[in-house]
Amino acid sequence: MDTQAELKPVGDNVPKVDGTIAVGEDLEFQRRWWKFEKVVWSFFVLLLIADLAGALGRGPLANAKRETADGTLQVKYERIQRENTSSIMTLLPGQAAVHDGKLQLFVSDSILKEFGAQRIIPQPETSVVGAGGVTYTFPATSTPMTVQFELKPSFIGLHPFTIGVPGDEPVQAKAFVLP
Amino acid sequence: MNVASTESVLRALYGYFFLVFIVRIVGRRPGKQLTPFEFILIFFLGGLMLTAIVADEASLTNAFCQIIAVAFAHFSLAAIRSRSDRVARILDGTPLILLEGNTWRALTMRRQRIADDDVMEKARDQGLKTLEEIETAVLERNGEISILPKEDS
Repeated sequence: MDTQAELKPVGDNVPKVDGTIAVGEDLEFQRRWWKFEKVVWSFFVLLLIADLAGALGRGPLANAKRETADGTLQVKYERIQRENTSSIMTLLPGQAAVHDGKLQLFVSDSILKEFGAQRIIPQPETSVVGAGGVTYTFPATSTPMTVQFELKPSFIGLHPFTIGVPGDEPVQAKAFVLP
Repeated sequence: MNVASTESVLRALYGYFFLVFIVRIVGRRPGKQLTPFEFILIFFLGGLMLTAIVADEASLTNAFCQIIAVAFAHFSLAAIRSRSDRVARILDGTPLILLEGNTWRALTMRRQRIADDDVMEKARDQGLKTLEEIETAVLERNGEISILPKEDS
């Protein structure tokens, strides 16, 4: 076994002040660092303003509204969402969406998977799987009507979704899920 | 695009490096002990980051893996720092002279948010009565202020 200790001569590689005190100050580096700090703080301020405005979700800029051309269905949602954070998607069907006291709504699979639908208010009477989504049936009388989906996305990225009344033109949109 | 949730270990690493960066940007303040403000900062930052890192994974397995990931990141950073002067400078900064031969380094003081009282406090700690007795005052990388008295004081 090697019992010899590894040795290295004592050397001083830091600049001296008055030839006596080894401080090792690097003002040139520090000046660059102060400049960098300024840039970072400016970026942080912009980030906070963007957050307050809702550009990072949960604010005015994130709120979006889509409507079919014939006004059968209006969808209010957040175009920027956050992972594992609840948001509410509100569907406002028009009277034309109600047939025989029933309201049918088709939602694409992405609403259930990527956007992680947790709850539907009110509870649908039936749900039928197929055609790349689920068709829910609700007992309905007259407008105004509101159906809400509580979303809790667990997949980061841009995801498209489709919501519509079967037989009518659907609402198609995209929302971005931030980490 | 379907990007699955980031793994918990990666979240722990993001959190660690982000906090290292934030603490570096917030800067050093003089003093041997944490001030009440720094206590608030440290616990608040830790608490806020914790919720996002742990999320809803409350298992012991997750805790072990995340702790090991953070320990590994810390160990690696320390190893790189000891081998590279450039990385050490970026992580810790460099010592900065605050006062030298009766002259304040005004820009350094301002940028580092240090008042002359902070220097005087440290001088008193070493038994010096006036600023004239100080040869050099240095803000060290760990935030401590070192006072070197004049030879004849």
